[in-house]
Amino acid sequence: MVENTAGGLYHFKNQHKMISTKKGLGALVIVTAIGLVIACSKKSGSGDTQPTVNGFDKGAMLSNYANNLIIPAYTGLQQQIDALETGVNDFLNSPSATTQQALLPVFKTAYLQFEKVSVDQFGPAERVLFNNFLNTFPTDNAVIDGNINRGTYDLSINSAINQQGFPALDYLLFSANAVSKATATNSANYKKYVRDVVARMKTLTASVLNSWKTTYRAEFTGNTKSDAGSPIAFMINQFAFEMDQMKGPRIGWPYGKQSGGTQYPQNTEGYEAGISVALAVENLTNLKAMFNSGGSGKGMSDYLIALNKQQLSTDVLKQFDVAINSLKAIPDPLSSALFNNKTQVDAAYREIQILLTLIKTDVASATGVRITYQDTDGD
Amino acid sequence: MNISAFFKAKAKHLQQPVSAAPLATFRVLFGLMMLAGTIRFWLNGWIDDLYVKPGFYFSYMGFEWVRPLGNTGMHLLFGVMLLATVLVAIGLFYRVAIVVFFLSFTYIELIDVTNYLNHYYFISLVAFLMIWLPAAGMFSVDARLKPKQKVPYVPLWMVGIIRLQLGVVYFFAGLAKLNVDWMLDAIPMKIWLPAKSHLPIVGELMYKDWVAYFFSWFGAVYDLFIVFFMANHRSRPWAFIVVIGFHVCTAIFFPSIGMFPYVMMLSSLVFFSSVTHQKVIDFIAGNKADTLTSHDYKANASSGLKWMFMAYLVLQVIVPLRFLAYPDSLFWNEEGYRFSWRVMLMEKSGNTFFYVKEPSTGKTFEVNNSEFLTPLQDKMMSTQPDMILRYAHYLASVYQKRGIKQPAVYADCYVTLNGRRSRQFIDTTVNLASQPLSWQHYNWVLPYNLK
Repeated sequence: MVENTAGGLYHFKNQHKMISTKKGLGALVIVTAIGLVIACSKKSGSGDTQPTVNGFDKGAMLSNYANNLIIPAYTGLQQQIDALETGVNDFLNSPSATTQQALLPVFKTAYLQFEKVSVDQFGPAERVLFNNFLNTFPTDNAVIDGNINRGTYDLSINSAINQQGFPALDYLLFSANAVSKATATNSANYKKYVRDVVARMKTLTASVLNSWKTTYRAEFTGNTKSDAGSPIAFMINQFAFEMDQMKGPRIGWPYGKQSGGTQYPQNTEGYEAGISVALAVENLTNLKAMFNSGGSGKGMSDYLIALNKQQLSTDVLKQFDVAINSLKAIPDPLSSALFNNKTQVDAAYREIQILLTLIKTDVASATGVRITYQDTDGD
Repeated sequence: MNISAFFKAKAKHLQQPVSAAPLATFRVLFGLMMLAGTIRFWLNGWIDDLYVKPGFYFSYMGFEWVRPLGNTGMHLLFGVMLLATVLVAIGLFYRVAIVVFFLSFTYIELIDVTNYLNHYYFISLVAFLMIWLPAAGMFSVDARLKPKQKVPYVPLWMVGIIRLQLGVVYFFAGLAKLNVDWMLDAIPMKIWLPAKSHLPIVGELMYKDWVAYFFSWFGAVYDLFIVFFMANHRSRPWAFIVVIGFHVCTAIFFPSIGMFPYVMMLSSLVFFSSVTHQKVIDFIAGNKADTLTSHDYKANASSGLKWMFMAYLVLQVIVPLRFLAYPDSLFWNEEGYRFSWRVMLMEKSGNTFFYVKEPSTGKTFEVNNSEFLTPLQDKMMSTQPDMILRYAHYLASVYQKRGIKQPAVYADCYVTLNGRRSRQFIDTTVNLASQPLSWQHYNWVLPYNLK
């Protein structure tokens, strides 16, 4: 055999460095051995103990979210939709402008409660596309009218997301001709459709709440990873997503930001009931409450502090307040404010964008969460 | 010893015949890894997600003609590539198979800058090298079917070039880590490790600064020097244990880097001597049918091939260093960042809003990025100036088709780098639609080093 066993192209160089090489190698091996022991001893771990460092426990944070924020919010929604069902039946049984007016605050309360779970579209809610079925706006009113006339429809298919939920009820119960539809001689189809929409909202809410109470709570609180698909990554991404929704569908798009200034007031959330700003304020207020977990000391804002990002945490909470107040400065209904209160709408839009950027870049970066499953170079 | 004598001795050393066994085992391992990688990619649904669903793709300069081939076409291409990996592994129709693999793999990688990964680039390079090497000269179906075409011995440099390629990857990856953030501040490790505090036992350590420094320094030292320890026969067994330990740990801590640790671990086996590889092959094959004597050795590589490899090696050094020709910050501007073995090097994240303006009417249209880009494309674009520019050009063409006259495109982009607070990335007053794609420094990227 002819080959020199030193092999490779580095043969010559290494002859000279043999001695220093040995020392360097020794150090390298020792350091690696330490690294291996530290890193790979994880296999013997039980996985039950949650690290609490800098006084912060991610598992406790997630338990707090599940027990004190998310599950109570869904429970509240279930109660409010029950109340809504009663109110809707009262209206349908004796439709009049008076019963319609009585229904409005019930509808508003339930819709506001929905804004408290809007950010929770992960786990069971993601599986049933909860937000999509309960709050896709604007609705396709022509298709809804067609469904009612035909009396046949399937609300469970994905293409039917803009024919149901709160936005459909908004149209069905509070549009100008709602009372006349409910009192017409052929109102049976109309009433059935309204009841079917409410029934579906009840079913979906019950299924999500039930999943949380039975299996998903443990799944959620037991996973303190930050990978794509982990609860922490889901939550950060949902914060950013809700902010995107606020900037786009809730305010920006109806305001004409995408359309060269041409406004679409009828595309606002809760257009017929005229409660768009109230809904937006509730949405953002709840987002803040989720971010700092109602000030319990076990929220994302506290996690940021544990990561030595005190200033960022403070600034984000401050910007939440600024954005919420700028939204509150817009008078309802938003559909008219889009024309009459442009200064306020512009200001709110600006503040929302600043908050969105903070969450989507600085917070996401500081927490090291990932948005996608594909391989990356980590940059 | 004078210089010319030194080079003559060196050249002679590189020409000496060695068993082709390292090339053969490398071919088998490479084929199997690529087979596994292709199957994994397919099963994850990434063919659809990355090459069928997007409506827009970020081309590479000069490769705009590389387009996705549609749903059927892409799956066919992956099917062809899959077949090629099997043929490479078993060494049947090797030359055709490795050419097909190189072309199909590289074509796929060139479709969208979004999907750029250093280890994909590494695979393309290695596949290119293997086209010219007789890696199926033994321990292959080809060699069994046509014993006359066996190539049991090759000049040392034919094995050495693969080793050198690996050395380039490691060494430049190490050089890239020698920057202030990485070495003195242990960033991005300080940002990334706390996200791993869910790991049992070591979880608590993830918040500790010394652990971040340990990871940073160990990573830099490892990358810079491991290849030298692998090249030396005395240190090699120990060094290989370090290689395994290092990459197993990166796989545990940073699962998002996918196949990379496994590719590097298995590729490193090529550093073991020809004798060792020959023994392994003899053991597996159960006989020495493929072994001939050194009398059969023919150093018949054309001098053209040698010159091509020389030029190739020069490029391998120049390309990762091309960033030196650009002003301002490499990490901020990313001019000369790709194709330079910069892996897991920085924490960068951005958010970009685009505005299309019609000069004649003053109307402004804000762009909804999710209408045109996948979340991954949006994320990648938001921090990389050349992608921002390409997307701006695309938006101009789309809005022109929608009836906007002479659309001007502006970007409002915020970027955070290595944990510093986000700030404006792109000059909001520059109409990107009128800025050309170029190799020159982009002046519309706001400077990182504020004076």
